[in-house]
Amino acid sequence: MIPGVCIVTKSNEKLTIIIAGLIIGVISTVLVLLGNPKNMGFCIACFIRDTAGALKLHGAKGVMYLRPEIIGIILGSFLLSFGKKEFSPRGGSSPMTRLVLGFFAMVGCLMFLGCPFRMILRIAGGDLNAILGLVGFAAGIGCGILYLKRGYSLKRTYRLPVSEGSALPVIAVALLIILIAIPSLLNFSELIEDAKGPGLMHAAIWVSLLAGLIVGGLAQHTRLCMVGGIRDAILFKEFKLLLGFVAILISALIMNLILSAATSGTYFTLAFEGQPVAHMDGLWNALGMLLVGFACVLLGGCPLRQLVLAGEGNTDSALTVVGLLLGAAFAHNFGLASSADGPTGNGKIAVIIGIVVVIIIGEFNIARNKQATK
Amino acid sequence: MICIATFFSHFGAMRCKKQCDETGITAKMMPVPRILSSSCGTCVRIETEDPESLPRTEEMEQLAIEQSNGYQIIWKAENS
Repeated sequence: MIPGVCIVTKSNEKLTIIIAGLIIGVISTVLVLLGNPKNMGFCIACFIRDTAGALKLHGAKGVMYLRPEIIGIILGSFLLSFGKKEFSPRGGSSPMTRLVLGFFAMVGCLMFLGCPFRMILRIAGGDLNAILGLVGFAAGIGCGILYLKRGYSLKRTYRLPVSEGSALPVIAVALLIILIAIPSLLNFSELIEDAKGPGLMHAAIWVSLLAGLIVGGLAQHTRLCMVGGIRDAILFKEFKLLLGFVAILISALIMNLILSAATSGTYFTLAFEGQPVAHMDGLWNALGMLLVGFACVLLGGCPLRQLVLAGEGNTDSALTVVGLLLGAAFAHNFGLASSADGPTGNGKIAVIIGIVVVIIIGEFNIARNKQATK
Repeated sequence: MICIATFFSHFGAMRCKKQCDETGITAKMMPVPRILSSSCGTCVRIETEDPESLPRTEEMEQLAIEQSNGYQIIWKAENS
């Protein structure tokens, strides 16, 4: 018992998250202007997939680039949390379950071709296929909420040594050093003959890194989470996190319209057809994102949030990131990932298996809690 | 007064809410205020005149009293 241990002062959370969302939307579109693929200023799933390719974990020629944005998000969260004394090494909350959920969340993302963050950016670019993704995403979050209401919960976390909590940030620094100093260790789409795909398109390393640092810091400060926004709105009628989601959409949309008017490029096309790095199979766009929403509610946050928590020292989230990385490698090695031509047969089977696995994980963790309360 | 109890898991919050309901204490679940934690979990907002009497379950992470300009943290679990 520590009476009066400290007093913390309230802040205007709503205003802060709206401003953060607006800034993140602007950064995302500026990254596209500076070289990232269209509607992909940020995509946690795509960028982890590209990183997996750069690290030779899969052989898809068009998606190999060690994305500095991912490194930046982890380090931005790490630096800010460290400065604010919020860096808190902890873990032990059902780590293998989280790894499996992360794996299948990535399978869902690569069925849709984007994480929840990119889903917003695709909508902001006029991609109507992403609306179907949003419908599936919200439905998946609804499924996860049913489990939360029935008592689903993973085990509690425990304090860990600093060395454990800082492992992923240290790995991020090591990857940055390799990218800058010894890139010959990595695979790059642009160095492979006949390679076509988003791995060829990227902003300069330092621009991407800076963007990642800012977004990581803002997301740490505001707890921005694409899953948390819809979850809290449905579960608690609390709309704070959702405002961040909406702010990104509005600012990215406005920026896309401005860039379309001010430059020779096209950054907004309201259509189903001809969208960059997207396919038009509505059912599988929706089912892919249903799997993502469902798995991420059981994880407690979207892929962006997992990176941010990992930067704060959460080793469970770090393992989830490893699950995402494995999922990306597996998806491209075994033909699960969609392409602009549409989903693959293997991908459809994997999404169905993923939904079944997430249901089993949900049921298993409710049953265990019931036993624990006896 | 209003107390905010945070937990290591969503289930811990659910169980606290249930215990409050069973003992006639007004309580509701809500997202953890940002200023109390950088995690985005679930907390329980409890109306009580005697926060010391609230049970400290092993799932509870911290207990704070809401004030006009912030929160006074009155208890934190070990190993949190």
